[in-house]
Amino acid sequence: MAAPCASLGAVVSCRLFLGSRVILARSKGPWGASAAGLQAGAAPQLSRLIRTTVVTTKKNVPASRHEPYTEDFIKKQVEEFNIGKRHLANMMGEDPETFTQEDVDRAITYLFPSGLFEKRARPVMKHPEQIFPRQRAMQWGEDGRPFHFLFYTGKQAYYSLMHDIYGKILQAESRESQLPPKNLLPANTEVIDLIGSRWLIKEELEEMLVEKLSDQDYVQFIRLLEKLLRSACGPGEQELVRRFRRSVAARSQQQQIPPVQHDAQGAPFSIGQGRRKTAQAEAVVTAQGSGRIQVNGEDYLHYFPVLQDREQLMFPFHFLDRLGKHDVTCTVSGGGRSAQAGALRLAMARALCSFISKDEVEWMRQAGWTRSGLRRMRMCPPAWSRIQSSGIGTALSTAQPLPGMQHQLCLL
Amino acid sequence: MAASALKVVRSWSGLAPGVTFAVWSIPRQTQVRWSRYSPEFRDPLTDKEHYRKPVAGLTEEEKYEKELKKTQLIKAAPTTTTCSVFADPVISKFTNMMMKGGNKILARSLITQTLEAVKRKQFEKHRTASAEEQAIIERNPYIIFHQALKNCEPVIGLVPILRGGHFYQVPVPLADQRRRFLAMKWMITECREHKHRRILMPEKLSHELLQAFHNQGPVIKRKQEMHKMAEANRALAHYRWW
Repeated sequence: MAAPCASLGAVVSCRLFLGSRVILARSKGPWGASAAGLQAGAAPQLSRLIRTTVVTTKKNVPASRHEPYTEDFIKKQVEEFNIGKRHLANMMGEDPETFTQEDVDRAITYLFPSGLFEKRARPVMKHPEQIFPRQRAMQWGEDGRPFHFLFYTGKQAYYSLMHDIYGKILQAESRESQLPPKNLLPANTEVIDLIGSRWLIKEELEEMLVEKLSDQDYVQFIRLLEKLLRSACGPGEQELVRRFRRSVAARSQQQQIPPVQHDAQGAPFSIGQGRRKTAQAEAVVTAQGSGRIQVNGEDYLHYFPVLQDREQLMFPFHFLDRLGKHDVTCTVSGGGRSAQAGALRLAMARALCSFISKDEVEWMRQAGWTRSGLRRMRMCPPAWSRIQSSGIGTALSTAQPLPGMQHQLCLL
Repeated sequence: MAASALKVVRSWSGLAPGVTFAVWSIPRQTQVRWSRYSPEFRDPLTDKEHYRKPVAGLTEEEKYEKELKKTQLIKAAPTTTTCSVFADPVISKFTNMMMKGGNKILARSLITQTLEAVKRKQFEKHRTASAEEQAIIERNPYIIFHQALKNCEPVIGLVPILRGGHFYQVPVPLADQRRRFLAMKWMITECREHKHRRILMPEKLSHELLQAFHNQGPVIKRKQEMHKMAEANRALAHYRWW
C-alpha cells in the first residue's frame, strides 16, 4: 500500500512539478516582462525586451526558447563586426577605411575555402542586421494595454500603412476638387520613373513591416498605391510611393558584348559563342567582307543543304540590313542539323553586337536573337496513355522506365 | 534609372481613358504550361520594320511600351521564325501540320511543290484564256492558298455535351484559332485519305486548294455539312453555358 501511494505521490508531485515549471515558463511569456517590470519596479519602456515568438515544429521536445536579442546585444554585435572587418582588412593587406562588403566576402572565401554545395551553409561574415532577423518591438505596456490603436487587427503595421495611404488619397482628391478644372498641368510635376522601377514584391513588403501578409493583402496594397498615383500627386505623396518602388536595371546593360579584336593586318573582327541543345558553336565575324560563310572549313551551302538552316544563319544579318557586308568563319560541334544552325545563329548574333549601335543591340535582344533557348530533351513515356486507358487497377508498381519509353521534346 | 523618366501628368488619365495605366508590373499570372521560362518572360518580336519606325511617328502609348520593353526579359526566338519576306506564318503552320515524325524537310518540300503546281496550273489557264478572263485569273499561289483556307473555315461548330447520360452535339461559336485549325485539318485529311495511292500529295493538294479557292470541292462540302448539322441541332443551343 505504501509503495503505490508513494509512487502515486511521486507521480502527482512530478506532475505538479511539471505544471509549476510550465507555469513558470509561461510567466516569462507575453506578460513576463510586465511581471519583471513590476518586480523591478521600473517602467517597461526602459528595459524594452525584444522577443520572438516560440515556434516548435517537433513533438515530444520541450519548446526551445529563442535567445532574446536585446538592443545592447545587437549593438555589441555591430561593434564586433566592425572591428572584425578592420582586422580582416589588415590581414588581407588592404586599407581598412575602404573595405567594402564585397571585399569581405572575397576575403572570407579566400581564407575559408568551402566545397559545400549549399551556399547558405558556407562561412559568411555579414552585418548583424542581415544575420539576426528583424524583430518586432514590445507592443503593449505594463498594464497590458497595446500601444497601437490597430493592435487588435492582428497586422497593425499593414493596416496602419493602408490607413495612411488612404488618408493621402482623400487629401489628394479634396485638393483636386478645389483646383480650377482648366488647370490640367500642376505647377511643379515631380517625376517618378515608372518604367525603371517596380513595386515591392510581397516578401520585401513582409520584411519591411515585420509581419506576415496574405496574397490578397498584398494585392490590395498595390491597388491602393496605384490609386494614389492616379490621383493628383504632390511631392509628399510621391515620396511615400517611392518608398515602395525598387529600381529595375535595363536588361540591355546586362548583356555581354564581345570586344572588337584586330588581326595581323589590322582588320577588325569579333568572336561570338553560342549553344543550342547539345551543339556548341564559335563564330569569327569580320567587320568588312563580302558575305562568305565558312562552317568547319566547308562553304555553308555544302554544310547546310536544307534551306531552313541557311535561313537561320542569314537572320542576324538580315535583321540588321547587313547581308553581304561581313565574312564569317565558324566551327560547330555536337547536336543535330537544326541545333547546329541555331547555335551558329546565336554565335553570329553575339559577335555582330560588337559592330552595331546600342539601340540595335537592344532591338536584337527584343527580337530574341541574343538569348539561347531553354528547350531540352526530356524523358516522356508514350506508354502512359496505354496504362491510363486500361483502368485504375493497373497501378504502377515499379519505378523503372517502361519499355518503349522514348526521348521526346516535351518542354517549350 | 536607365530609361528616361515619364511624367505622371494628371492630363494622362483625362486624355486617354482607354489607355491602360500599365503601372501594374507584378508579373502577370498567365497559365504557363510546361515552359522552362518563368512567367515574366515576354515573347520576342522579329518584325524588323517595327524597330525601324522613327520615334516622332509613335503615339504616347507606343513610346511607353517601347520604354517598358527595355526592362523586360525576352525569350529566345524559335528556330522556325524568320524576318524574311518569304516567310508566311500560315504556311509554316500548315507545314507543321503536314509533318509526320519530325520530317520537316519532306513537309516543306511538299508544300513548295504544291505551290509550284498551283502556279503552273494557273499560268496554263491564263495562257489559254481570253482577255476578259485573264484579268480575273489569280496567279499568285500564296493568295490562292490563303483564300482557299479562309473559304474552308467554318463559322459555327459542334461540341459534344454530356446531359442526362447522353452526348448531344451542341452548336457553339468557334474561336478564330480553332477555325483556322479545322480548315487546315480538313484539307490535310481530305488529301491524305481520298486520293489514289499513285497520285502524289502536291498534285492532290494543289487540286483541292484550287477547288476551295472557287468555293467548290469536298472540303467546302464538309464545312457546309457542319453548318447544316449546327442548324439542325439549334434547339440544343441552350445546353451551352459559356
